[in-house]
Amino acid sequence: MDDDEAVTRALAGDLDAYEVLVTRYSAVAHRTASLLGAADETEDVVQEAFVKAFRHLKGFRRGSSFRPWLLRIVANETHDLTRSRGRRSDLAVRLGREREPYGPGGPGDPQDAVMDADGRTRLLEAVRALPDRDREAVVCRYFLQLSEAETAEVLGVRLGTVKSRTFRALRRLREEVSREHLG
Amino acid sequence: MSTSDDDDPEAIEARLRALGADLAVPAPPPADVARAVRARLADAAGPVRDGDGNTESGPGGQRGSRRGSRRGSRQGSPGRVPRWSRRPAGRRPRVAAAPVAVLVAVAMAVLLGATPQGRAAVASVLRFAGVEIHVGGAGPLPTGVPSPLPGERRVTLEEARRTARFSVAVPSALGEPADVRLADGGRVVTLLWPGVRLDEFDGTLGVVWRKELGEPWPEQVDAVGGWWIPRPHGVSYVPAGGGEPREEQVAGPTLIWQHKLAGLRLEGPDRAEAVRIALSVR
Repeated sequence: MDDDEAVTRALAGDLDAYEVLVTRYSAVAHRTASLLGAADETEDVVQEAFVKAFRHLKGFRRGSSFRPWLLRIVANETHDLTRSRGRRSDLAVRLGREREPYGPGGPGDPQDAVMDADGRTRLLEAVRALPDRDREAVVCRYFLQLSEAETAEVLGVRLGTVKSRTFRALRRLREEVSREHLG
Repeated sequence: MSTSDDDDPEAIEARLRALGADLAVPAPPPADVARAVRARLADAAGPVRDGDGNTESGPGGQRGSRRGSRRGSRQGSPGRVPRWSRRPAGRRPRVAAAPVAVLVAVAMAVLLGATPQGRAAVASVLRFAGVEIHVGGAGPLPTGVPSPLPGERRVTLEEARRTARFSVAVPSALGEPADVRLADGGRVVTLLWPGVRLDEFDGTLGVVWRKELGEPWPEQVDAVGGWWIPRPHGVSYVPAGGGEPREEQVAGPTLIWQHKLAGLRLEGPDRAEAVRIALSVR
């Protein structure tokens, strides 16, 4: 069942069909909420977002993509949460598994691997230090690997805004990273 | 990696993508999420306030009843989500039940506060009339087959009155119960009418029931000095003398209040009707 069919059936009240959509987008929804700052309330945020998405399914524009539409609801829920908690929408993640130094996708050289692990930590810190809006653009574009158009939809801003925030953020990150090197 | 890479606009983007791929974001199994979401949608979609709709969820849906099929146990009204109810038990993620709560005996006290243990999402605990209510971190509704309370047996009302450790109250609004159960050495008396379950228990010495709720908070009911839990939720019986709470089961919307030394929980009617029944207890 593709998204469009699942949406059609869910609109008719078919909970089985909606369950298909929830299962399909659960992982990316958790990732989005977590990286946008839901922290240990990620699971609650995601559940709430899926419930709201079902109730507002009529507002989904047919023929467009379900994923960014859903993720916008996830992002809004996350914002509501962080606002109500009076805290910054921090990037509350840890670097997970270290890459296999010799494994596929990893840097080829063991020495590079050590350097790279270090560099990633610094880079993550630099992303964390970005202003909220710029950081969110970076999270959507690079951590969630959304397109610029999807990012605009998820964050509820114009395409040009995504471009300028991303541009500003990348410039800042480059500065931070080269400063580290100089220091 | 070389310093010159950092001046390359594309290098930083590639590094960010690689960094993103390495960020660990834990997430529950998608099937569990789907089930939890579905349970919430099914709750809200059905005629929650319809007394008839709740017919089987009261006595029938709860433990100990002959009509306590798994089907009836699942939701307020069984017709609402039939397929759901037939899911095998035991696949439930035991998120809410994992950390054993510190069950302190505080009678007739309402305590608000953060629970020190467990997930941060478990926001607060309300203890009242022998019922301990956890609000905030509830997992999906349980799917277990209802089981009787310890030592549960069918008795006459007279026998229940003789044996119970508290005075058994019968709401005059409901008249004679259709069925009476006595359990756990007289600690709990259950009165059953069609569509209505009233548990009465020794609510002064310790926690008898434990409930796991999502938001919102239970509503305070001033008329009877009690609390109304508007949504289906997980409930487990805490045996006398402590020990692990028994298997969690589903309860429909429930009114909790205290009458003399007994704690009472009434399940089945909507809020207005439940309050009317509670006020008729003499």
